[in-house]
Amino acid sequence: MLKNENIDKKVTAYIESLFSGVGASQQLFDLKEELATNLKEKTNDIKSRGLDEDQAFKEAVISMGDLSGLVNDMRKLGQDIAKQNVYSTMTSRISTAGIVAGVLLILFGILTVTMLYFMDLEAPAVTGSGIFIVAGGAIFTYSLLTRETTKKYGMNKIRAVFYALAVGLILFSIFVSVTSFFATGEMFIAIGSLMVFILAGIGLFLILVLTGTDRHKN
Amino acid sequence: MSGRISTDLIRGHTNTIVLNILRQGDSYGYEIYKKIIALSDRKYELKEATLYTAFRRLEQDELIVSYWGDETQGGRRKYYRITDKGKEVYEQNVIDWIFARAILDKLIQGGFGDAKE
Repeated sequence: MLKNENIDKKVTAYIESLFSGVGASQQLFDLKEELATNLKEKTNDIKSRGLDEDQAFKEAVISMGDLSGLVNDMRKLGQDIAKQNVYSTMTSRISTAGIVAGVLLILFGILTVTMLYFMDLEAPAVTGSGIFIVAGGAIFTYSLLTRETTKKYGMNKIRAVFYALAVGLILFSIFVSVTSFFATGEMFIAIGSLMVFILAGIGLFLILVLTGTDRHKN
Repeated sequence: MSGRISTDLIRGHTNTIVLNILRQGDSYGYEIYKKIIALSDRKYELKEATLYTAFRRLEQDELIVSYWGDETQGGRRKYYRITDKGKEVYEQNVIDWIFARAILDKLIQGGFGDAKE
């Protein structure tokens, strides 16, 4: 029994040194246990042929063959998992920060406009703060789309930027038309300035919606 | 004069050899290793390093599945079981092997003189 414990220690130490510096993964954890169990059984088999423990262990290890291919497989797997984790936590942090910042900007814009409205200022001065709503809306859109959830993968960053641009353009067109309406009092100027940006925004938005890929997880 | 099997020759057949063992019942790494030695009448040893690589590949291709057995003195054993897809691939590989063996016999040992006799 004591001798078996010795073999256990040797095998565990050998397996650990074999995979030392390899990034952790579920598959590595499983493979280590699988190898250890089999190697212990093999060592005990060889020992029962009359060899002493050290020799039996050495022979068992040598006859396993070259395990470097297996170690390399595990190393690649560990690196990928490490990268994935870093990548997804970084992305989700940026996305969370973006959603918070976006919502706060929108609220700030709405509250400032409301505040200025009740201060009986000139109309153009009141609508000026609406630009915060435009910026907040664009940031919020980008952050929401790049967020990975349990059901969906995050959107490609470049695509999300275009979505944010489309939403920004549409909000900006409304902002510009409201501002120019209050500044000039002329409806045709409002519609004219609305047109330029809203057409670009909606055009871009439609292209994005129609070329979208399925981000649902299996 | 004793023969040997080159690594090049065996490489293409490792998967089929493992599938042949597993189609006769579930088994774990070291036992599969011993069964292969026994099947060859102790004339051939497939290294465990090669076997574990093969297990990973076969599992990825869904030809085998694995599960953990009960705790033994040394720890848990990881057992492998052949899937239906694995059985199909095995059957096809056997057909391919019989075909290839016949042709290779002719190519390696055959001569034009033999055919005329």
